[in-house]
Amino acid sequence: MSTAADTLECQRVCRSFGGLRAVTEFTTRIARGELVGLIGPNGAGKTTVFNLMTGVYRPTAGEIRLGSRRIDGALPAQINQAGVARTFQNIRLFGNLSVVDNVAVAFARHGGENLFHTILRTPRFFRRRDESEAQAMALLRTFQLDGKANLRAASLAYGDQRRLEIARALATRPRILLLDEPAAGMNPQEKAELMKLIRFIRDQFAVGILLIEHDMRLVMNVCERITVLDHGETIAVGTPQEIQANPRVIEAYLGEPA
Amino acid sequence: MANAPVPILIAAIVPLGWFVEQSGYVDAYYARMLMLIGYNVILAVSLQLINGFSGQFSLGHAGFMAVGAYLAAYPAITFSQTYTNPAAVLLFYVALAIVTGMCGLVLYGLFTAARLSRRLHPTLPIILILLLIAWLLVELARASRYEGATPGYLVWSRGISLLRSSLAGMLDHGQPLAARVSVMFPEAARGPMAFLILLGGAGACAAAAGLIVGLPALRLRGDYLAIATLGMGEIIRIIIINTTALGGALGLTPIPRYANFSWIYGVAIVTVVVIWRVAYSAAGRAIMAVREDEIAAAAVGIHNTYQKVVAFIIGAFFAGVAGALYALNEYSITPTRFTMDRSIEIVVMVTLGGLGSISGAILAATVLTLLPEVLRPVAEYRMIIYSLALIAIMLVRPQGLLGGRELWPRRRGPRAPSPGVEPREEPIPA
Repeated sequence: MSTAADTLECQRVCRSFGGLRAVTEFTTRIARGELVGLIGPNGAGKTTVFNLMTGVYRPTAGEIRLGSRRIDGALPAQINQAGVARTFQNIRLFGNLSVVDNVAVAFARHGGENLFHTILRTPRFFRRRDESEAQAMALLRTFQLDGKANLRAASLAYGDQRRLEIARALATRPRILLLDEPAAGMNPQEKAELMKLIRFIRDQFAVGILLIEHDMRLVMNVCERITVLDHGETIAVGTPQEIQANPRVIEAYLGEPA
Repeated sequence: MANAPVPILIAAIVPLGWFVEQSGYVDAYYARMLMLIGYNVILAVSLQLINGFSGQFSLGHAGFMAVGAYLAAYPAITFSQTYTNPAAVLLFYVALAIVTGMCGLVLYGLFTAARLSRRLHPTLPIILILLLIAWLLVELARASRYEGATPGYLVWSRGISLLRSSLAGMLDHGQPLAARVSVMFPEAARGPMAFLILLGGAGACAAAAGLIVGLPALRLRGDYLAIATLGMGEIIRIIIINTTALGGALGLTPIPRYANFSWIYGVAIVTVVVIWRVAYSAAGRAIMAVREDEIAAAAVGIHNTYQKVVAFIIGAFFAGVAGALYALNEYSITPTRFTMDRSIEIVVMVTLGGLGSISGAILAATVLTLLPEVLRPVAEYRMIIYSLALIAIMLVRPQGLLGGRELWPRRRGPRAPSPGVEPREEPIPA
C-alpha cells in the first residue's frame, strides 16, 4: 500500500545555527506503514530534525522530499497540507478551544471555509460544519476522548492532552506522522498503552511514523528501524537488536569505557 | 447565535428611532448619548474580532474609522449637494478602486521584480533598493536647491498627476451617465441608496486600508504590532490633516445627514451578527487557533498570516462603516475626532468587556460611554473617578467583565451524533 509518493526522504540534510552544527548530513527514508525511531542523548539534534522536516527551519544544505516533491523551504502549513503532521515535545494544544474544536480545526482546513457561506449561513455552511464535527467526534471516539469533547483542551489530564495532540495531527490526514517524545511524563502503565496506540495508529491510519523517544523500552519494542544521533551526526542506523549491540551508541549514552 | 432576539430588535429599532428622535420625549442630549453608544458598540465589537479572537493587539482602530468617515463624507458632500446622486457616489468608489488598483499593480510589479532579482544574486534586491533611495535623496536635494524640476521630481509628479487626472477623468466623464442612471430611480429611494453605497464604499475603503496596513504589520507580534498599528493610525490622521481636498485640520462640513438613530442601531445589529457568525464558525476557529498557538496552527495546516489578515480586514471594514455612520450623522468631522486616544478608548472597551467575548464588548461599550456622562456632576473629578473605576474593574476582574464567555447561550460543540453516523475506526483495544 505504500507507494513512492508516500515516502518522506531526507538527503544529506544539514542545519547550523551560527557556528553550531545542529544537524550534519542527516539521511533517512520513511515509507508509509513504517515505524522508525530517532534516538540520541539530550541536545543531539532530534527535535531539530523534526523542525527541518516540518518547515520550522530551512536546511542549510541538503534536500527533503515527500514523494517526488521537494518540501524543504516550504511553509509549515504547506508541508502539513502535503501530508506531514507532527506533535510537539512540550504539548502545544489550542488551550482555550474545546477538545472537539482542536480536532475539527485540523479537519476544516482541508474542506476550506468560505466567508460568504459563513456569514450568510447557507446550507453548505451547516453541511460542512456537521460533517467536520462528525468526523472530529469519530476520531475522538477512536482515542476515547469523546466523553470530554466539550471540555477546554487545557483542562485535560496530561495523558489525554498527549493523545489529543496525536488525534489533532491525524485529523490533517497525514501520510507521515512525526511524534516528538510522546511518552514524556507518562507512568509505566500509560507507556504500555501508548505502545499499543502507536502500533494501532500505524495500522488503522496507514501512516509512516517517525518517533523521538527517550524511553528505550518503548523505542526498542515499537520501532522496526532506529536512527541514532549524537551531536547532530548519525552514528548508527539499524534494527533495535543492532542498535543495542552497537558500541558507538553505548559510548554516546554512557561515555567511553574506562 | 440565538437568532430569536435579532428579528425582534430589528423590528424594534424603527419605532424606537422615532421615539428617541421625533417624539419629543427624549432629550436631544440623551439621544446623542444613545447614538454614541451605537458607534462604540460597532467599533468595540469589530475590534474584538482583531484583539480578542485573532489575538493581534491593534491600536489603530480610530485610523480605520477615519478612513471610513472621510471617504464617506467627501463623496457625500461632492455628489449630493445639488441632488442626491447614488450612481455618482458609486462611480466615485469604482474610480477610487481602479486608481488604487493601478498603484497596487505598480507596487506589486516592483515587489516581484525585487524578488526575481534575488535569483540572480542574493544581495541584488538590497542594492536596488539602496540605489532607489539614493536616487530619491539626490533628486530631493537637487529639487530643494534649485527649486527646478529635476527628472526624478518630474517622474514623481507626473505619476501623481496621472493618478489624479485619471480619477478626475473617470469622475467627470462618468457624471452625465451617473446622472441619467440616478434619475431612473424614484426620488425617495435615491437618498437611502446613496447612503447604503456610502456605507459599503467607506467600509470597503477601510478594509483596503486594513489590507495594506495588515500585510506588513501582521508579521509583528505583541507590543511591536501595537506600536506599528498605533503609528499607522497616526499616519492616516496626519495624511488627512495635510490633504486640502479633505479639509485639512478644519475638517469637512456640511455633510448631508443620511444616518439616524435607527440606521446606527440597524448597522450595529448587522455588525454583531456578522462578527458573531465569523467568530463562532470554522473560520473563527481557525482565527482562534492562531491566537492560541501559531506554531501549532501552522503544524495543522493553518496559514497564520491569512487568518490574521482576514480578521484585520473584517474588523477594519466595520470600523470604516462606523466612521461613515458617524460622518453622515454629525454634519461635520475633523481629524481631532480620530486621534490615538479614540483608539485607546476602544481597546479599553474590548479589554474591559473581556477578550474573546462579543457581548462583553457590547456591555463595556455601553458602560464606558455612559460612565463619563454619569459622572458629569462631579465636574473636575470626573476623569479621575473614571480612571479609578477602570483600575478597580481590572483589579477585581482581570479577565474582563465577561472573560471570554457570552451573555446569551451559544451552541456548544456538536450535538449527539445521529444514529446514521458510525465511527470510522474501531476503538483501541484496551
